[in-house]
Amino acid sequence: MPVVTVHPSGEVIYLDPDETVLSGLYKAGYAYAIGCRRGGCAVCKVDCLSGQFKYDYPIADTVLTVEERSDGTCLTCRAVPKGDITIEMRDENLRLINPFLRQLNEKARIRAKSVLSGTESKEQ
Amino acid sequence: MGIMRMGYAHVRVTDMAEAKNHYANTLGLYEVLEENGRVYYKGWDEWDHHSVVLEEGGVGLVKFGFKVEHEFDIDEIEKKAETFGCIVERMSKGENPEVSDGIRIHTPSDHLFEVYHGQTMVGTEVGTHNPESFPRHLVGVGVPAIDHALVTAEDVKGMERFLTETFGFYATERVQTSLEPDCDYIGTWMTGGNQIHQLAVIAGPQGKLHHFAFKLSDWNEVGHAADLFSMDDVPIDVGPTRHGITRGQTVYFFDPSGNRNEVFAGGYTAYPDRPVSIWTPDQIGKGIFYHARELNDRFTSVLT
Ligand code: FES
Ligand SMILES: [Fe+2]
Repeated sequence: MPVVTVHPSGEVIYLDPDETVLSGLYKAGYAYAIGCRRGGCAVCKVDCLSGQFKYDYPIADTVLTVEERSDGTCLTCRAVPKGDITIEMRDENLRLINPFLRQLNEKARIRAKSVLSGTESKEQ
Repeated sequence: MGIMRMGYAHVRVTDMAEAKNHYANTLGLYEVLEENGRVYYKGWDEWDHHSVVLEEGGVGLVKFGFKVEHEFDIDEIEKKAETFGCIVERMSKGENPEVSDGIRIHTPSDHLFEVYHGQTMVGTEVGTHNPESFPRHLVGVGVPAIDHALVTAEDVKGMERFLTETFGFYATERVQTSLEPDCDYIGTWMTGGNQIHQLAVIAGPQGKLHHFAFKLSDWNEVGHAADLFSMDDVPIDVGPTRHGITRGQTVYFFDPSGNRNEVFAGGYTAYPDRPVSIWTPDQIGKGIFYHARELNDRFTSVLT
């Protein structure tokens, strides 16, 4: 149940397990500069400031250079967080385009957090 | 007549299983061969052995094949390409399965174009004897054939000259920096026959693929294709809409590796003596996407 924090604006977005960063952000009502959504165009890169992620698909060398595989570059349409991560957009801010989804995501995140800390069972 | 058509597009895919699902089940191409990590496809209305080749590893274009009518066309194009200053290699029969000998041209745009005169004829899916209008059990979109491609190049004017002088193509439409004779070209749409475009070139990095397209017949088919893309979770880039340039109806979408595909219908009949339609940069949005009338940020940035 990873959580993505967006630096510096501070949005906190809850991701389903095995979900890519891109898919999670869009499902939470946000938009930013993306292209093919399928790992081919390199447009969706952000910087990962902390936390770890993995790629479940091979990524073409033309899309991610050798350096970019270890310098925190995060190809969001293919990157699946391994735990909580903090990212920073490159040249554009995250835009909230669907606040309804944002509210649902916020609820899901709080629910997940309380399940994890056992507070939900106490409330019942 | 020299070059008849773009005969095949050979592209790289990162995941062959997903790519096969896209090209066979969503687009409805027929798989004709799988060999050495490559999968070969044809559309139902194509008679030559294959028109799409997928190769696992990476993304983007490996090469295009252009088919000439006569074997002797090859020698002429070879001479012209060499005169133009291109590196040209001979290729022998069988280097591409079921494809004749021919030449391989390294274009001024850093793409690889193969020119060949023969491919094993396997026939369309409706045959030649009292043929039905289409096969009864098409899969997905059921694209009949590939149609054209768009690539990027640093020097569009140079590519137009290359395609004119070596392939005998002519421009049907163009985006120019101005209407003055000393203007630069931002894009050119070129053909060798009556098809509105066989290859288009827009300004951008060398050696990149913008998209390759499949033919459909009308608005309804384009709309139906878009519906199927939603059902199959294919990322739609743009459309259904119309291109001001060519007047064609279109959907841009991405294959599972991020290569852009298009389904394209319509487009008026091209003739070499028809005056070229010229678009100015302030109207390029309308030229590319006739309804939105503006480019999206992906049009120039998303290339493979
Ligand atoms: S959107 Fe194209 S690589 Fe991520
Ligand atoms: Fe096109």
